[in-house]
Amino acid sequence: MSSIIQNNEYSSLSFKFMLLAAISAAIMVLDYRETILHPVRTTLTVISYPFKYAINLPFSAKGYLTDYFSDHKTMAEENRQLRTTLDIYAARNQKYHAIADENLRLREQLNAIPKTDEKHLLAEILSVSANTFSRKVTINRGSNDHMYTGQVVIAGKNIYGQIDSIAPDSAEIMQLTDKDHAIHVVNTSVLNRKPELAIDEVIGRGALAVGSGKTNLLELRNIEANVDIRKGDIYVSSGLGKLYPAGYPVAIVSSIKYNSGDSFMKVMAHTLTDFTQAREVLAIWHNKRAVKSKKEELTSQLKKNKATEKSILKKTN
Amino acid sequence: MGNNVSPRFTGAVMVSVVLAFILLLLPLSESWMLWRPEWIVLTFIYWSIKLPKKISIVMAWVAGLFVDVFYGSILGQHALGLVVVVFMSIRLLPRLSVNILWHQLVLIFLVLGTYLLINLWIMAATGSNPATWHYWLPLLSSLLIWPIYSWVLSFFHVERSRFDVF
Repeated sequence: MSSIIQNNEYSSLSFKFMLLAAISAAIMVLDYRETILHPVRTTLTVISYPFKYAINLPFSAKGYLTDYFSDHKTMAEENRQLRTTLDIYAARNQKYHAIADENLRLREQLNAIPKTDEKHLLAEILSVSANTFSRKVTINRGSNDHMYTGQVVIAGKNIYGQIDSIAPDSAEIMQLTDKDHAIHVVNTSVLNRKPELAIDEVIGRGALAVGSGKTNLLELRNIEANVDIRKGDIYVSSGLGKLYPAGYPVAIVSSIKYNSGDSFMKVMAHTLTDFTQAREVLAIWHNKRAVKSKKEELTSQLKKNKATEKSILKKTN
Repeated sequence: MGNNVSPRFTGAVMVSVVLAFILLLLPLSESWMLWRPEWIVLTFIYWSIKLPKKISIVMAWVAGLFVDVFYGSILGQHALGLVVVVFMSIRLLPRLSVNILWHQLVLIFLVLGTYLLINLWIMAATGSNPATWHYWLPLLSSLLIWPIYSWVLSFFHVERSRFDVF
């Protein structure tokens, strides 16, 4: 009798197992190929957010507490330094405004489409991914702040990464060093050594900076054996691929190896962002995406163009 | 075995799983992260051994979905892994004397090894292969931490009629 019951239990277990395994396989295929399951992931992220937040609270509180209890003298010193930098930046900003006005005027004269302003948003890093082999962090801003997947995130003046997945009040950033991440970069130190080089030539000799999966380390791929490269060269983003803005510093070359016979060198570079130190990051809106008003402007511009085309056609007819 | 064990309070299994999630999400330095035991898997193996009739395979599946969200892996990867863990543990149970420590370790080695292998296959198939032998360090650390962790988890259940066994 008991063996029959046990057999029944086992068959019920086997049935549940097979059913759940089949469902798992199905949703894996769906999640890999389609975007249909994104709401499910978002819901689970939203549900688990308070849990994650609570666990990381003591660790993030440590930083605030050290700030709070730090010496008055050091604080005053730091404050004074910050004021000085602020003044310097204010002076620079003044110059920038003049240049921006001039740029606008020139663009108007050239009949070019006005360049969109850059918008920034400061976000705090909440937690590091539980997965040891991926380089992802969660921040405390999300789609409620009009952020979007693929948005560029910077730390200080260097590139930090891009947004990988998004929830209403949190987003996951893929760091530059993630194994799945790549960014096109160019060597600017070459320009210092050979000022006569044309800028196009430098861009043509760019490299692909692929994440190594290790902290602060990138691999620069597709650098041919005859390319002029030295240890300590600085690579900046090229802007190719339309994702990252051009000219942001990315990495500094740390080691160059070449096996005779290979067509490419093996170059490793350290990121200029210290991923172990960054506590806050800056999300930027540098292209026309996601800024709604800008989008509307664009469409209206298109409509205007069409209207003028029509009127021209009418006149010629 | 199994018949004379019951949870100490309602939702004890749930609380132990939440504890495992806290251990999973604790921020550690990189070198420590590599050695982090598979807390969730150990927890489900423990309950599959102690309460094979009560442990819910559906609960393991849901927990797996949350692991997927925390890891940023494709949905269903760890869910499938944990379902396999519970199923394998329950089916291997009659073939081993689970009160003996080294039998438990053999069971964990087999079940956790399968779990890690399944995850590795899926990651390789979806193009995020870790490509380092460090991937297998949690297997070793899980086996090492098991005696202490199972002792901690033993606070979550009572053995009702332990004198009947003797």
